[in-house]
Amino acid sequence: MPWVIAAYAVTGIALVGYALQLRAARRAALRDLQRRS
Amino acid sequence: MVSAAVMLSVIGALAWLLWLARDIGERIATTRWVGGVALALVPVWLWLVAYYAPIEAAQGIIQKIFYVHIPAIIPTYFGFFLSALGGALYLRTRDDRWDQLAVAGAEVGVVFCSLMLVVGPIWAKPAWGHWWVWDLRLTTTLMLWFIYVAYLFLRSFAFGSDTAKTFTAVYGIAGIAAIPFVYFAVDLAQGSTMHPSNPTREGLPPEMGRAVGVGMINFIWIFAWLVAKRLELAALHAHALVASRARSA
Repeated sequence: MPWVIAAYAVTGIALVGYALQLRAARRAALRDLQRRS
Repeated sequence: MVSAAVMLSVIGALAWLLWLARDIGERIATTRWVGGVALALVPVWLWLVAYYAPIEAAQGIIQKIFYVHIPAIIPTYFGFFLSALGGALYLRTRDDRWDQLAVAGAEVGVVFCSLMLVVGPIWAKPAWGHWWVWDLRLTTTLMLWFIYVAYLFLRSFAFGSDTAKTFTAVYGIAGIAAIPFVYFAVDLAQGSTMHPSNPTREGLPPEMGRAVGVGMINFIWIFAWLVAKRLELAALHAHALVASRARSA
């Protein structure tokens, strides 16, 4: 059972982590764009 | 029926992403709907995995890892195919929107390929007694991962350059030549591989097939949502680059 939990936890953390990283990068890009314009 | 739904999801996600890439600024609102569908499918998929699919007799509970490992394959191939398609359309039209689609496909494809390469060993350790073996399927998958990680490195080192866009477009198209080797690796190895053969040919019991199928559909829409978000980011970076060039001119 710990192996199964580990596999699903890794998947969840990776996908949620990537989505959050994209959101943070989007906010930074929007701030950058506002500063330049 | 499940395989038809998987096929429809692939075609639908591809059509949506191509439509979205043409005018990301105006069409980004549709991403919410796709994200909502993907999120709503997660509890359904987890319920099927936990309660509906039976525990496999030979492997026991660790076989449940297959329901997350197998569905990650489609977004991996899909991402690298998008990278090649976006690259080909960029070479034909020289339109930056297709280049952005190629980069988004490669990056999200690498995320899913990495997941496959991490989750596989978590199953292999209790099943085989080893985290990793230099089996043909595992080795070719690792090579595929390296090919597209190199693609992303190339892009990050030469941001915004037309030469880099052209070079990576050609590289992305050439890279998908590795996919058939990965897919048919178990057949090519002619019995000398430890990796199980492709599940579609082995034939899964119906309950297991449905759990895998719903997992595939869920992962396809999560993939499409992530590609859309990455496309939006690429478009913002492109706007920032244009604004910066206009100011310095």
